[in-house]
Amino acid sequence: MISLRHITKCFRDGEREVVVLRDLDLDVAAGAFTAVVGPSGSGKSTLLYVAGGLDADYEGEAVVAGRDLRALSARERAAFRNVSVGFVFQSFNLLPALPAVENTMLPGLFAPPGVPAPSIGQLRIRAMEALDRVGLADKASRLPAHLSGGERQRVAIARALLSRPAVLLADEPTGNLDAVSGEAVIQLFSAMVRDGVTVLVVTHEERVSAAAGRVLHLEEGRLR
Amino acid sequence: MRLASLVHLASLNLRSDRRGTILNTAAACVGAAALVFFVALGMGVGQAARLLFPGDARLIEVVPGAVSLGAALGGGALDDGAMERLRELPGVQGAWRRLSLRVPIAASRAPEGVRMNWPPGFTVQVPVVGVDAGLVASDLQPGRRFDDPPAGEPIPVLASRRLLEVYNKTIAPAWNLRRLPAGIDLVGLQIPVQVGFSIIPLKTEEKVYDARLALAGLSDRVPLYSLAVPVETVRRLHREYGKSDAGYSSVVLELARPDDVPSAAAAVRRMGFAVDEGERAIAERVGLAITVVAGALALLALLMTALAALAIAQSLSASVRARTRDIAILQSLGATAGDVRALVLAEAALVGLAGGVLGVLIAWLAARGVDAAALRFLPDFPFRPTTFFQFPPWLFALGVGVSASAALLGALAPAALAARIDPARAIS
Ligand SMILES: Nc1ncnc2c1ncn2[C@@H]1O[C@H](COP(=O)(O)OP(=O)(O)O)[C@@H](O)[C@H]1O
Ligand SMILES: [Mg+2]
Repeated sequence: MISLRHITKCFRDGEREVVVLRDLDLDVAAGAFTAVVGPSGSGKSTLLYVAGGLDADYEGEAVVAGRDLRALSARERAAFRNVSVGFVFQSFNLLPALPAVENTMLPGLFAPPGVPAPSIGQLRIRAMEALDRVGLADKASRLPAHLSGGERQRVAIARALLSRPAVLLADEPTGNLDAVSGEAVIQLFSAMVRDGVTVLVVTHEERVSAAAGRVLHLEEGRLR
Repeated sequence: MRLASLVHLASLNLRSDRRGTILNTAAACVGAAALVFFVALGMGVGQAARLLFPGDARLIEVVPGAVSLGAALGGGALDDGAMERLRELPGVQGAWRRLSLRVPIAASRAPEGVRMNWPPGFTVQVPVVGVDAGLVASDLQPGRRFDDPPAGEPIPVLASRRLLEVYNKTIAPAWNLRRLPAGIDLVGLQIPVQVGFSIIPLKTEEKVYDARLALAGLSDRVPLYSLAVPVETVRRLHREYGKSDAGYSSVVLELARPDDVPSAAAAVRRMGFAVDEGERAIAERVGLAITVVAGALALLALLMTALAALAIAQSLSASVRARTRDIAILQSLGATAGDVRALVLAEAALVGLAGGVLGVLIAWLAARGVDAAALRFLPDFPFRPTTFFQFPPWLFALGVGVSASAALLGALAPAALAARIDPARAIS
């Protein structure tokens, strides 16, 4: 489902060139729950952005959900992010001005041409269903500021699941959560894996990797 | 991104930044309001001026040259020979004679067919000018003739279209007469007169007899304070009273196009005649002044609109910079660079449309206010317009269109800025 080959990613820091990913290989089977662990600054987020088609500036091959990312135009990459993957971030990345249900609806607004686009009303119904799945149907009209950290992350998960992607990419999803909320998020991921979603989590937390079927270590730009 | 989605998200964004939205809408609104107000004012005042001075831009009035000069240049009298030569001038479509009646005519009884409280013993002198039927043919009421009638029949007359208004606003109040309802149909009205009678005793002719004038129509080509009769009637009366006819009082030339007027006027002067600029010149000068002032004000309004576009550009740029992370989030969810650009443009378009609609409404309300104030505070002069504004439907479209275009123009740079955001960089 995820196949990265010889991925090398550098950042320019003024004169200096920092190599973050160095000839990295990664294979994740469909329906697997995989965790990548590593210290802060080791390149975990960078790896996720490459796999999720957010970052196109790297060397190597990336095939995710059957799409060869290097071959995609910027527009096709956006469609890939919309249809094939869902993101969950440590800082939730909800739009602060929008109520939970509007945040959840967002991916549906960017349905690429060719995908049957639902009406705003249908989208709202689908978003309510997604919020119901994460147990937040009763808080759909709240702004993110009026939700707890755990609730915000569940809204983000509902949003990531709205277009029923094959792959879920999570970047330190429990990093800002207490033990109870973090556990709820991990439970949701496990449930999604049971539904057939391929989950790749990058984290430095033991409790997350403990739930994963496979744990990889990111060190010096490579996975071990 | 579909239009419904675009509008949905753009209006959500606008609602969440209420302050910025109100400020930008106000900026767009002020420009649109000023533009619509000034254009409507220019057109309204222009229309009012045309009512006040209904000068036909294609007519010039030729009058005899100054006596000494005229003789020297072979010009002078406007006789039939002169008529022929004037008719030959390039661009001239018609030439019509005007001949002032030198036999006094007075009315001392109320016209028949209209209710009027004519004061007992009151006599009014009626200035009469003879004109060729062709000059006023189009103003004759259908079925009415305009030629010298057989003896005993009423003489057809035409009055100025403006006479009723002037009568109601100045003559009636001054002489304590009843006003006539606006829009009254006076055609067919008969005025009993005394031919040869003058209110100045020495000017009364030896022969005075009763006659009737019958109003055959209203015309803008009849001087305001006189009645027009067929030119043959004037010549007959002159013969009856032994007055000589050396030439016509004036000749009205109708030109094919208003642009022909200056060259034709110059040719007329070369022939030794003079041109009576009269009301046409006033009308032209007034019209030009109105056009220039209204144009300058509209230009000022466009400048305000341009400033509004700049203000919107600045505020949207700041808003895009502040929302960099939000935009990156949208990109992570599948928004393309084009979607992001369209989103910023849609926000501006909505603001511009709302500002335009609001501005047009404000301009219209302000115009109603000015009209109401004018009605209260301006004296009731002839042809005082009921409105100083004109709002044709296209003006509303113009106001909204200019406002929306200005907002879109202002949004171009911020939209490009938003489309360049790199999600991988901005999201972490
Ligand atoms: N946009 C960028 N410009 C320069 N350096 C960057 C940029 N993004 C990340 N880095 C660097 O790349 C390295 C890996 O970053 P990241 O993938 O965020 O690590 P992690 O998520 O594991 O904490 C860090 O040293 C970071 O400073
Ligand atoms: Mg990170």
